[in-house]
Amino acid sequence: MNLRVSTGPHLLTRENTQTLMLDVLIALAPTTAAGIYLFGLRAAWVLCVAVIAAVLSEYIWLKLMKKTIVIGDLSAVVTGLIVGLNMPAGVSLWIPALGSAIAIILVKQLFGGIGHNFMNPAMFARAFLLASWPARMTSFLLPERLLGTSQAAFGVDMISGATPLVTKARNIPLSDLLLGNIPGTIGEVCKVAILIGLVYMLVVKVVSWHVPVFFVGTVALMSWLVGSDPLVAILSGGVLFGAVFMATDYVTNPMQKIGQCIFGLGCGAMVVIIRSWGNYPEGVTYAILFMNCLTPLIDRFSSKRVYGMVKKHA
Amino acid sequence: MRKYSFRGGIHPLRDTHEGKELTRNKPIREVVAQVVRIPMDMHIGAPSEPIVKKGDRVLIGQKIAEAVGGIGVPVHASVSGTVTEVAAYQMMHKKPSMCITIENDGLEEWVQLAPLGDVETAAADKIIPAVKEAGICGMGGACFPTHIKMSPPAGKVVDTVLLNGAECETFLTADFRLMLEQPERVVNGLRAVMRAMGVKRGIICIEDNKPEAIQAITKAAAGREGVEVGTLKTKYPQGGEKQLIYSVLGREVPAGGLPMDAGVVVLNVGTAAAIADAVIEGKPLISRVTTISGAVAAPDNLLLRIGTLLKDAAEACGGYAKEPGKIFVGGSMTGVCAPNDEASISKANNGLVVFDEKDAQLPDESSCIRCGRCIDACPVWLNPYQMKRDYQLGKLDEMEKKLHVMECVLCGSCSYVCPARQYLTPAFKDAKDIITARRMKQ
Repeated sequence: MNLRVSTGPHLLTRENTQTLMLDVLIALAPTTAAGIYLFGLRAAWVLCVAVIAAVLSEYIWLKLMKKTIVIGDLSAVVTGLIVGLNMPAGVSLWIPALGSAIAIILVKQLFGGIGHNFMNPAMFARAFLLASWPARMTSFLLPERLLGTSQAAFGVDMISGATPLVTKARNIPLSDLLLGNIPGTIGEVCKVAILIGLVYMLVVKVVSWHVPVFFVGTVALMSWLVGSDPLVAILSGGVLFGAVFMATDYVTNPMQKIGQCIFGLGCGAMVVIIRSWGNYPEGVTYAILFMNCLTPLIDRFSSKRVYGMVKKHA
Repeated sequence: MRKYSFRGGIHPLRDTHEGKELTRNKPIREVVAQVVRIPMDMHIGAPSEPIVKKGDRVLIGQKIAEAVGGIGVPVHASVSGTVTEVAAYQMMHKKPSMCITIENDGLEEWVQLAPLGDVETAAADKIIPAVKEAGICGMGGACFPTHIKMSPPAGKVVDTVLLNGAECETFLTADFRLMLEQPERVVNGLRAVMRAMGVKRGIICIEDNKPEAIQAITKAAAGREGVEVGTLKTKYPQGGEKQLIYSVLGREVPAGGLPMDAGVVVLNVGTAAAIADAVIEGKPLISRVTTISGAVAAPDNLLLRIGTLLKDAAEACGGYAKEPGKIFVGGSMTGVCAPNDEASISKANNGLVVFDEKDAQLPDESSCIRCGRCIDACPVWLNPYQMKRDYQLGKLDEMEKKLHVMECVLCGSCSYVCPARQYLTPAFKDAKDIITARRMKQ
């Protein structure tokens, strides 16, 4: 009889990094499907290229560095998909490929691989591309299925359209904002799909409500304070997609719940500040990256009192 | 009904009802071993000193080893028969344990007993000495000598006795069966402790996944002075002393202190039953209920003599169902691994679980993804993520002074929930051992 001896616990939860990533992918499925439905096959190509480039970058890098190949944990698939969902559907295909490579190699692997990056890889890649090729990154296709009502709001240009944030359009029907009949990146337009993903992640407890609620809540409140329509502020642009899928990234947000509330609050505030007084019409990317950098600081100052740090009973 | 709970904790093996289904409906069955090997260091404190030698005939309940030092307890023969060996064996402790091996002659002869009588009328000042003489120590796992717990130093006021029937550990159903089948023993034991200590309030605490036990205990407790039944939310480690006190009374045990520093004494329900036997019948602690589960042919709840070899306990349940890959005493969260199946059941062993080779596999550690589950799971509100980082960097002072690693109760919750399979609890156990050794030196 050959018995093993170890310290407990002797059985562990079935949940592991791979299953968590799989749950995120499942949560992203409605958004992905909606994006392809709205923007057509063109969007599917962008997403495919982004995912393949991400996984390939990770594989090649780990192989070259003679490290264990961990692409099976699906984290590169998630990163790639999110990079793709952050693209306008009509973008040249080398852009998502480059974005994924930057996300995986520059942001994730150079800092030590999964768990060690201090910024959200997909977010940084988007910021990088946005700064390098602003025109390509903001030439938004109008959804192929755009209804006539909204067409009027954006003019007749069917090749590219500015997001509602740029046009400051006020007369878009709520249903169009919710269903995604507006120009934007592949992933951010259909709010209903994003919300379905959020509900799934909350139900299977992959993420908690703290970051999304504080993020979106702060955007709504502050937008109202600066005099814009809070509903349009939330439902146009990338606030919801960012709050649900990018600000909730484990690696780059605080670990304590109180810290996550502060993080969400900070993201929301930065978005409104950038939108109202910055040069960019959209601020989600930079807001999240900015708060990513503050995460270690937030973690440091949001520790809980430990059990037993009380006076002795008489 | 109000359900007591605490902040943090987990629900392990939720989809298999904490692994308890295997033995939940198995009534307690007595199995008398042919050979018992009784260790001298079953309790915390100095090992007892053998007073019998090879060839001596002993009777059940006869004292075979004397208590040594301030917190020692005596040890008694659990079968009648002949002492065949007094020698050291490797048990579950780090160092080998001195053991007295007795071959059972099957006559089941008891020594003369000196009962104190009914728990409500026995002389209150005789109860604590009787508990010590009966060799009783905490039967929930820690094995702290019970008479010490019952004797707070002058100036300490204990106002509540909590009986721990949470049995939050996975696989175990020994306490559940005991409460269900012999609730009056448990209640009598509680009353004996309350009277001995002059405490007016006693609460028997049971998790809500054991409604039958709650019902049985409630019935047995009816009309008994100062005895209440408290329902706990099913959650691990609800039965941890610190968590139980916080859940039920809203008090915290001060860091580095004992439950009595929070005005509480916590005893396992099995310990209470042993106390009842010691007072009412004068019987020392010679047997206990142990759940035998996992990869054995017929998992069961057995009433075993102290010193029964693990292999004999497994044999009584039809033997191993598969080639064992790991054997541990206790549940799967905090169970202590046995080096081989010739170790023996001690006073504290509420369970014996056998894993096959597949379940015994140890996971590969992967990179932490900072998901924060360990922080949410910690029942003493520590930061396991930060502690593990500091441990890997060798920053033990940081762990001790800033992160309070010494408050870690080694419950295993953080390791259980970690999706990256980080070895958190083993790291903290190691750090605690090193820091304790350092403190001893100073």
